[in-house]
Amino acid sequence: MNYENMNDIINYWKYELKQVFKDAGVIIFFLVVPFAYPVLYGIIYNPEIVHEVPMVVVDLSHSSSSREFIRKNDASPEVKIVAIVTGMEEAIRMTDKKEAYGILVIPKEFSKNLHTERKAVVKLYCDMSSLLYYKAFLLTATEVSLDMGKELLIENLPGNSSKMDEITANPVNHESIALYNPQNGFATFLLPAILVLVIQQTLLLGVGMLAGTRRSSRHTGPTFPEARISQVLWGRFFAYLTIYMIVCFWALIVVPHLFKLPQMASFYTIALFALPYLSACIFFSMAISCFVKSREIPMMIFVFTSLPLLFISGISWPGSSIPVFWEWVSYIFPSTFGIRGFIKINSAGAELPLISFEYMMLWIQAFVFFIITFSLYQFNARGQGLSKEHFMMTVGKKSR
Amino acid sequence: MTTSGKNIQSGLEVTKREVKRLFSNKVYLFCMFVAPLFCLLFFLSLMHKGLPTDLPLALVDLDNSSSSGNLARQLDTFEGTQIIFQTSDFSEAREIMQKGEIYGILLIPGNFAKDAVSGKQPKLSFYTNNSYLIAGSLLFRDLKTISVLASASVGLQTGRAKGYTDDRIMTQLQPIVIDTHPIGNPWLNYSVYLNNIIIPGILQLMIFCVTVYSIGIEIKERTTRKWLRTGNNSLFISLIGKLIPQTILFLICGLIIYATLYGGMNFPFNGSIFSMLLLLFLFIIAGQAFGVFMIGVLPTLRLGLSFACIWGMISFSICGFSFPVTAMYPPVQALSNLFPLRHYFLIYVDQALNGREILFSWEHYIAMTAFLILPFLVFKPLTFAIRHAKHEL
Repeated sequence: MNYENMNDIINYWKYELKQVFKDAGVIIFFLVVPFAYPVLYGIIYNPEIVHEVPMVVVDLSHSSSSREFIRKNDASPEVKIVAIVTGMEEAIRMTDKKEAYGILVIPKEFSKNLHTERKAVVKLYCDMSSLLYYKAFLLTATEVSLDMGKELLIENLPGNSSKMDEITANPVNHESIALYNPQNGFATFLLPAILVLVIQQTLLLGVGMLAGTRRSSRHTGPTFPEARISQVLWGRFFAYLTIYMIVCFWALIVVPHLFKLPQMASFYTIALFALPYLSACIFFSMAISCFVKSREIPMMIFVFTSLPLLFISGISWPGSSIPVFWEWVSYIFPSTFGIRGFIKINSAGAELPLISFEYMMLWIQAFVFFIITFSLYQFNARGQGLSKEHFMMTVGKKSR
Repeated sequence: MTTSGKNIQSGLEVTKREVKRLFSNKVYLFCMFVAPLFCLLFFLSLMHKGLPTDLPLALVDLDNSSSSGNLARQLDTFEGTQIIFQTSDFSEAREIMQKGEIYGILLIPGNFAKDAVSGKQPKLSFYTNNSYLIAGSLLFRDLKTISVLASASVGLQTGRAKGYTDDRIMTQLQPIVIDTHPIGNPWLNYSVYLNNIIIPGILQLMIFCVTVYSIGIEIKERTTRKWLRTGNNSLFISLIGKLIPQTILFLICGLIIYATLYGGMNFPFNGSIFSMLLLLFLFIIAGQAFGVFMIGVLPTLRLGLSFACIWGMISFSICGFSFPVTAMYPPVQALSNLFPLRHYFLIYVDQALNGREILFSWEHYIAMTAFLILPFLVFKPLTFAIRHAKHEL
């Protein structure tokens, strides 16, 4: 590339940056949303876990064992026993009024069974409005029942040493280690995916809006010679890249720090990863923007896609269970590999060689969308009616 | 003609004009039908299994005995899990976990079988990748079960040696059993859990956008005078006449969604049809009222639409269907009341999922109706914007 070319690209870069900062609508998408949104979501999800979920107990046993069982449930951080009632009807009424989200029924023969070596069955009814309530109740009740069961067994075995008791009650021990999200937090799980997705979606909206403005403005200028298409294209690319390097720094490095999300990747790893992701996103947006005819339509058409894109990335609904057809569809979008790759490097601490598939796919996407954008620009520049205006920019002339 | 007769007449004229506008711009058709129905199809087919099955995990077997092999086979028969990788090198398994190919690792220590029967209490370790919350939780459940089962099978061996019956041994090992009844969604079906809110949420986003767009585009293209004149120079009549055909189209889309979810897919529906239809209707007009408010507060098309998009997207998080509102910070809890989808979710839980009496949801029906006040708050600025419509950039 000779000096003249470089100069042109720099001029287009400056011109496009000016266009961005002239336009309040674009600033909303390029700067306000990427900066405010992550914080907003951070605040919503930052409590991470549910605790003290209210539960009502129907205690038909009225025994010291049943009271111990209740006390132990109440003592756990996840569950709070708000009332102990005598009848199921009363308990149901409490759940109807949302004073409790679960009912624990301790049977009449609870204590008798425990002391005569028969099974005691405790019933647990859960309101399924949130799976997290259900999980809190079920895990707590299971822990407590295993715990009390062990104690009972030891009590019922006379004469042995306590270590022996423990072994008989529990011949095999187990431990569970939750990796990469030790407290099972909701923000830790969902926020990284949102952060990556916001980058693609705001680029799509902002670049779309800029293109829509170019198309709809009645401003006319000299026809653009074909030879300069690549300079316009690279000028724009670098303009968006400049802005989004700052956005990436905020969304992928500062926000995780602010909300204490996992930050396993080094600055350089994130930077090296962000480069193909941003390139793919920018060319993807530029290619799509060639079809945008008005300023506002992108918002109506692109915003809702965030939800399918989030789910198709395999972060919530596991990737191994995504139907093959949708898996292939997901390969079109940079966000798929962006989200997957970012979670692997920043949450799970994988080094770049471990995510070579995602990394390569992002570069391939960047290249393919570059080719598509370039061809569309060329096609438009050949004087296909409306789209000719696309290249009617005075800056090219001025630089001469 | 009487005044009211004339008002109805001009309202009908506005409606006629609006219907023409709706059918002449493809973006309306896209937002009202294509987008929500595509999402309906997409999410239902994505989660058609209800629960993720065959979640991949790795087994690190350092024992290599017949009983560790048994354990692995047992785990593999669980519907939820599938061992896709076996190794004797833990760091290798962890690397695959970092690559995201597996969601969990079961580590069976060396001498596991020998230690178990000789009372040395060997320790099974299971690792779950909880950056994938759903997969991690489901695997945790299965791995926990297998560990308890492992303990039980050794207990059975030693117990039998002492001459106890299996029944007695099991009772000794687990004297208290939890019998779980998830009300309304006993299969813990994720499709039921998520799609009952995601799809109406998408519909609402589109209601916000279409309402804002259909008014904003008149301001932008300076056709407001014509619109108002058709409506007998009354903003009220012009608005009602404009919004009614949209209400009807959104209702049709909503009914298709309901028919698919509760008819075709047989999602839990334990309440009355009346209460859910009332909900759908109120939800749609509340969304429209909110849309009028948005363009009234920010009477330029792009700013109004930004408001619509942001409010519509935040609804998904703040309505509490995934992460419960009760666990959010108190100010966020208070804020959640300003989102129609929040009330929609609570009414849906009461009426469709739990089949409660309508009385228990009355507050939320009222709240949903209260959104209808919003347009009246912006009548003045909206009138001003419409009468002085300037061409924006």
